[in-house]
Amino acid sequence: MSTLQIIACVKQVPASTEVKLNKETNTLIREGVEAIINPFDTYAIEEAVRLKQQHGGKVTALSMGIPSVAELLKQTVALGVDEAVLLSDRRFAGADSLATAWALAGGVRQTGAFDLVICGKQATDGDTAQVGPSLAEKLGIPHTTYVRSIEHVDEKLIRCIRLTDDGQETIEMTLPALITVVKDINVPRLPSIRGIRQAQSAPVKLLTADDVNADEKRIGLKGSPTQVVKTFIPAQTTESELFTGTPTEQAKQLVAKLVARRLVQEGEADGRD
Amino acid sequence: MAGISIAREKCTGCEQCVNACPFGQISIVDDIAMIAEGCTLCGACVEECGAQAIVLQRASVEAVDLAANQGIWVFAEQMDGQVRQVAFELLGEARRLATTLMVPVSAALLGFGCESAAQQLIACGADRVYVLDDPSLAHFNDETHVDVLAQLIEQHKPEIVLIGATTFGRSLAPRVASRLDTGLTADCTLLSIDRETGNLLQTRPAFGGNLMATIVCPNHRPQMATVRPRVMKALAPDPMRAGEIIHPAISVTPPRSTHVLAVDKSLGDSVNLTDAEIIVAAGKGIGSQANMALVHELAHVLCGIVGATRAVVDAGWTSYDHQIGQTGKTVAPKLYIACGISGAVQHLAGISSAEVIVAINKDPDAPIFQSAHYGIVGSVEQVLPALIAELRGITAKKTSIDSR
Amino acid sequence: MVGLISKFMKSEHWEYLRDESRSIGEADSISFPRTEEELEKIVKVLAAEQIPITVQGARTGLTGGAVPYGGHVINLSKMNRITGLRYDHGRFLLRVQPGILLVEVRKALENMQFDTTLWSQESVDALELLKQSGPQFFSPDPTEASASIGGMINCNASGARSYHYGPTRNHIESVKVLLTDGSSLSLVRGKHRTIDGQFRVASEAGNELSGTLPLYKMPDVKNASGYYLKPDMDLLDIFIGSEGTLGIVTEAELSLLPAPAAIWGVTVFLPNQDSALRFVRAVRGEQVDGIRQSDIQLPVAIEFFDARALELLRKEREHNAAFGQLQEIKSHYHTAVYVEFHGDNDMQATEWILSLGDLITSCGGDETDTWVAQNPRDMEKLQFFRHAIPESVNMLIDQRRNTEPFLTKLGTDMAVPDQHLTSMFELYDRRLAETGLEAVVFGHIGNNHVHVNILPRSLEDYQRGKELYLDWAQEAVSAGGTVSAEHGIGKLKTAFLAVMYGEEGLQKMREVKRLFDPKGLLSPGNMFSPVQQER
Repeated sequence: MSTLQIIACVKQVPASTEVKLNKETNTLIREGVEAIINPFDTYAIEEAVRLKQQHGGKVTALSMGIPSVAELLKQTVALGVDEAVLLSDRRFAGADSLATAWALAGGVRQTGAFDLVICGKQATDGDTAQVGPSLAEKLGIPHTTYVRSIEHVDEKLIRCIRLTDDGQETIEMTLPALITVVKDINVPRLPSIRGIRQAQSAPVKLLTADDVNADEKRIGLKGSPTQVVKTFIPAQTTESELFTGTPTEQAKQLVAKLVARRLVQEGEADGRD
Repeated sequence: MAGISIAREKCTGCEQCVNACPFGQISIVDDIAMIAEGCTLCGACVEECGAQAIVLQRASVEAVDLAANQGIWVFAEQMDGQVRQVAFELLGEARRLATTLMVPVSAALLGFGCESAAQQLIACGADRVYVLDDPSLAHFNDETHVDVLAQLIEQHKPEIVLIGATTFGRSLAPRVASRLDTGLTADCTLLSIDRETGNLLQTRPAFGGNLMATIVCPNHRPQMATVRPRVMKALAPDPMRAGEIIHPAISVTPPRSTHVLAVDKSLGDSVNLTDAEIIVAAGKGIGSQANMALVHELAHVLCGIVGATRAVVDAGWTSYDHQIGQTGKTVAPKLYIACGISGAVQHLAGISSAEVIVAINKDPDAPIFQSAHYGIVGSVEQVLPALIAELRGITAKKTSIDSR
Repeated sequence: MVGLISKFMKSEHWEYLRDESRSIGEADSISFPRTEEELEKIVKVLAAEQIPITVQGARTGLTGGAVPYGGHVINLSKMNRITGLRYDHGRFLLRVQPGILLVEVRKALENMQFDTTLWSQESVDALELLKQSGPQFFSPDPTEASASIGGMINCNASGARSYHYGPTRNHIESVKVLLTDGSSLSLVRGKHRTIDGQFRVASEAGNELSGTLPLYKMPDVKNASGYYLKPDMDLLDIFIGSEGTLGIVTEAELSLLPAPAAIWGVTVFLPNQDSALRFVRAVRGEQVDGIRQSDIQLPVAIEFFDARALELLRKEREHNAAFGQLQEIKSHYHTAVYVEFHGDNDMQATEWILSLGDLITSCGGDETDTWVAQNPRDMEKLQFFRHAIPESVNMLIDQRRNTEPFLTKLGTDMAVPDQHLTSMFELYDRRLAETGLEAVVFGHIGNNHVHVNILPRSLEDYQRGKELYLDWAQEAVSAGGTVSAEHGIGKLKTAFLAVMYGEEGLQKMREVKRLFDPKGLLSPGNMFSPVQQER
């Protein structure tokens, strides 16, 4: 069969998914928050590299972000990625998922003919899981989310298993196509010394908005239909609370708290619907 | 051109913005705020600035006729003709929003052999139900469902579309939004209407829940949001409610590029602790294997999953797939109830991502109490039956109000 | 006293009868003191009635040191506070109670978060200085991070990084010890020393304790067997590694080190064991035939996993979902060596890793067959791999116990001097082949200290394994090594102590015991009794 041209999308996120609060000043503590590749994207890279090793072809890692993301992209070369491409331009800044999809679509087209785009199921900083499907739409190709294994790939189609709320489904799509992958799909490899040696001299291709012929009205803050109007620190639960009284009294107090926190709902029947 | 800038003459160097930036991109240089290149233009600093020295210039968007879009829609996800609970929850929320906006609430019901569910949707708050009943919609298929829903929206122009953040919803919603070139906010926990503009205020957690962000979609329609199951409240069904069932004129074409070959629903029963929202876990402190029955009962009442410590699994009280906190198995439920668990370090590490931890243990000095949000000192034999009864009670209470 | 000492209830206290050695003891009463005062009261009552006392920390030991032999259990898990901080001659000294866990100390240091409500002003000032000085760490790293500091002191614990940083002993600045006669000693390194074995020290209450410590020859290797006895020594060193037999450590000062900015780890797979041993010797700076002497910076840890251990993991990875996240162990990977680098920055680490690649090639390996961890998340993956081996061993034995409930694994803990590394491996391999016993070999090869885990399939295997173990212990001792380099003697390895020091040496140890615990109340069965009958 012919070889596969695969694009793995990568996002830079803060290493800590949980930003701590300084309780005295009620502000975010950000010190030492290191930037890493979105953990879910590491499964996308691994799957892309594995497919290439099975079928031959080329893997391109594609990201959008500030220039320093290039260093992270170099790390993907140590893992077996052939080319690293970074969309970096002030005009891309402030993008929501729609504007990000527009920009990435430009980047994907710039890399030439492709068979498969692989994304992580979501990014740990936003948890929206929107860019994958949105990007597929902009590329006009079919997509499947939450893929846990790829059963078959040939020059025309891909057959994969996706997780659902009730179990799993087998989906077949014509290529080119986009999938988003979950952790079950593989175990991302660690780089080898050889990989690190190769990554030392690997170039990262930088693309600006002009390079991908982006419509300025579609990218960055300008191209984002959604806007953040307010951010606030939610009322924090205080230290641990110990209930006293008889078991029934304790149970009543606890249930009241759980209802208040919407963990338990009144009128909810036994068992799941 | 869109961008952010500091009005140097206004900036007092007070550092308020430095603390407000969730990305750590602002610093004070020579008593003036400086914004670094990692700025995402989120705007968190703008309102924080007392001197109004930060200017975020948003693009001027071509005027869209916002008034052309009216009404609130809920995507009524179904499986084999059964509407998912989250759709009823969204209808409840839609009704609440509709009273402010004074617009009708509609449900979009896509499936095959699902028409009978339309009445239920009306009973739970829909004024109109758009039903598309077609063999091509029998299984959830990204291609056909996106095609049909996007057409429906373009045809009927709702101003708000709410979709459950289920596996399917999280796949469908972004693609539909992308096709319509409109905004979508994922996993909202709070929805309300801005009385001045009529815009939907969509609040969602950011940064692991330590920060909440309120998001609007002012210049595009519809305003789309997904909401996780169990966040909103369903209305009690009112079988007397009247509503209209509409069969829109949309041709459903069979899929060309995406085919669902097999659907396997057997995994529903397996233990999936990693993704469980509610876990009731047992430690050796529950005393005996017999008390596992209480743990299972509590889990059942809460629609949760049973977990266990290594000691309980070692003792053979439950199987290995229930074990938490060993060899990398961590969980991140919304609610974690630890029964008779002392709180060994390995176990605590495994549950550190839980949102709310409840500890029930007869040893008041058990380390678990230091990590728990709520604690009850007492034996499992006494506390669990009381808790189960109490939880059953609130279910019953609600039902009795309904029947009045 | 009611309230402090409880009757031992098996239903409630069952877990305090055992430790990670998986042996089970018995006890009549138990206490959980929270303060030194409570502890003193408890000991006073017990001593008056001549009740034997077993002292427990977190019960993570592997030789049964915390398993009670009747009498009373003092569990120190509730004396778990960090009580202060001191800055002295460029070092930070963290004062802790014995029940605090290593992982808790690490967490406090990482987050620089301490409960200072009961701290002195001096400590609070030192904390300010600490915050300005940048991250510090306590280097001992036993595999089980939920070990208690008291337990670590009492068995002189070490871990992978002890290759560079040394065992716990090297990082304890002072201890406070409660003796069974009720006196309390504060012993500071450099201040309370023996001269020609003689010591004289005043207790907190002002009483003077003096005596003469005997002498024997200690092996010149990493060691956790028997009392530490040198002609001129710090008195606190007699308590470090004493396995709870001399006194109860009530407080200790941990000496901290500046934390390295770059921590990288590499697991290297070599095509055969010979090549792996050559790599080990070369990376620790030895002159090895056919390999160009390398001037590469010494690693802080050198660990080893033999072909049998890798094969066991391959099988587990296939069948056991818990190991599903392990990296793929390719079929041509034969023997693995893990090395760890601590440095100032990533550039330095990158240079190091590239020269390590050259060294691997010259030892007959391939730099493609390596797993490199450049950040804490990937380090965890390598650690997971390391921990998976003992865990698979335990699971395998558990399986076999279903049919043969008396089986346990036989884990050795011997270390020999550098020049005997290769011959020791030859001995292990030859004897395992001769006896047909199943085993895996892994551990701290930097210190020539590997654990041979014999995996008996039958009681016959088990008996043969025990004999083999004793043979090896004798060989290790005659090569100038030790019978236990890190786990201690506890109750399971007392027979080996006789092999190492002879009856004369044991006599001297009893002499030491009589000096500090004349009634012989503390930790009965540790070091001195015959091996407990296996149940």
